[in-house]
Amino acid sequence: MTRSASPKLGAYAGLAALGLLAALALRLPELVLFAAPFALVAGVAALQVRAPRIDVEVDLAHERTLEGDLLDISIRFDPSDAAERVDVLLELPPGLEVEEGTNPATLRLSKGDERVLQLGLRCVRWGAYRVGRVHLRAHDPFGVFKHETAIDRRQALKVYPTQEAVRSLLRPAETQVFSGNHVARQKAEGIEFADIRQFVAGDRIKHVNWRATARRGELWVNEHHAERNADVVIFLDVFAEARRGGRSTLDPALRAAASLAARYLRQRDRVGFVSFGGTINWLLPATGARQLYRIVDAMLDTQIILSHAWRDLVVIPRRTLPPQALVLALTPLLDDRAVTALLDLRARGFDLVVIEISPIAFVSRPRGEIQEVADRLWRLRRDAVRGRFERAGVPVAVWNDESSLAAALEEVGASRRRARTSRV
Amino acid sequence: MLGVVVAYSALAGDRLVALVTSIGCAGLLLTALALAGRWATLLPWGFVGVGAGYALFLSLRGGTVDARAPILAATFFVAAELSFWSIEGRSWRSEREVLVRRVALLFSAGLATAIVGGLLLLVASGRRGGIGYEAAGVAGAVLTLALITWLGRTEDR
Repeated sequence: MTRSASPKLGAYAGLAALGLLAALALRLPELVLFAAPFALVAGVAALQVRAPRIDVEVDLAHERTLEGDLLDISIRFDPSDAAERVDVLLELPPGLEVEEGTNPATLRLSKGDERVLQLGLRCVRWGAYRVGRVHLRAHDPFGVFKHETAIDRRQALKVYPTQEAVRSLLRPAETQVFSGNHVARQKAEGIEFADIRQFVAGDRIKHVNWRATARRGELWVNEHHAERNADVVIFLDVFAEARRGGRSTLDPALRAAASLAARYLRQRDRVGFVSFGGTINWLLPATGARQLYRIVDAMLDTQIILSHAWRDLVVIPRRTLPPQALVLALTPLLDDRAVTALLDLRARGFDLVVIEISPIAFVSRPRGEIQEVADRLWRLRRDAVRGRFERAGVPVAVWNDESSLAAALEEVGASRRRARTSRV
Repeated sequence: MLGVVVAYSALAGDRLVALVTSIGCAGLLLTALALAGRWATLLPWGFVGVGAGYALFLSLRGGTVDARAPILAATFFVAAELSFWSIEGRSWRSEREVLVRRVALLFSAGLATAIVGGLLLLVASGRRGGIGYEAAGVAGAVLTLALITWLGRTEDR
């Protein structure tokens, strides 16, 4: 513990000395009465000063929680010495706020008497946190000396982003070889009817289409589309973000990414994750609940790191982007490097869908003529970027405060259906 | 509370009242300034001003000791404690038990100052001073100051 004297010590010592000297010089015993309490307080405090021994434990109710949830945290004090006044501060990262209880708080700790301070933390923002660093400041009864220390009992806390409501998912253009929930173009064992053909040796009786057989006088069988899984890669643009107060375009992007990953994994698709920006993070496509946790954990480490270095797809391992994968890009379209990389993906034949996390709501309203012109130019430039994607055959859906992710996905889905029809 | 000391010095005195009041008021002004600006270093100078006004009143008064000195000393001490408390800059609320104990301690200390001060004054009024007592007083004051300064230094344990 670090010991320090409060300004009171110097002041009281000075007042006591001055009072005593004045009493002697002026031969006024009354002044001794004025000086004595100050001398007594400072002297007793100085003679009795010692650092109290306090053991602290921090318990989190959960290691994992959801954005917006309330998390109970208890700080347990086991004092070996009494402390008249102890200021307790639990260090909290931005994104966690105290909703129940007092932080900082001032307590009195009696020797050997265990105390528990309960706090309710609101997890305001997703992220990977370490919580449990407690600052203690113990005062003596008159507050002449203080002892300060920081006790590190940090534990990992993962706050997962809340999920967005998604009604229907985008169907990938191509499917893979494993069984899943997507109706494949290929004909094989499945449920969805595809066509009829003449019976050949080896066909199973249950596939015979008796109506067609009766009409044509020879055996005909039903053919079905196979149910296959698909590869989906969630591509998160983390080059830049638009931020206003505690909100940023990265928040809805991560919520959408987590929701989409969960939904695709639930229907047995392989889901991969690429966070492309100042730092690059990736996960190879895989299936199962474990992959969902891996993806969400990878997302929690995602942050915008400013970088001026040029980056393209070369830096992403080839296996991260399997051929015929559906690439769902979540981007605010603020950085040319991300736009170029996405267009490059399209040029390489990937089935690409762009969900634009609109930064418009995060931009303050322009003031003055010059700002208005700049704002118009910026918006026009964004339209031009969208035009580039459309010319490359990439549907772009804008997701903003006024619409839901489900609506944005519907918009993209409809656009893809139209494109497929016109291609036929 | 410091105003009580200044007001008493002004009202009970009969010589150089204006000077006594001015010194006391200057002390009050400094204290108010220190409290408003939360300047802990300025605060003692306000108390020095108020104390100086009272000391001047006593030295001009002459004759017997001031019987109200213990009460005034207690008031002065409690006022100083409350002033330092108010500039602690604590924006959060303390636990009820902590608050109650602190207030109780403060007023007990004030009461003890008044009672013990009264007794000391009673004992001191019957004694005669001397060079030995004065030397011991000066040495005591200097030693106290030195001891407090030494113990008060910041150290890591």
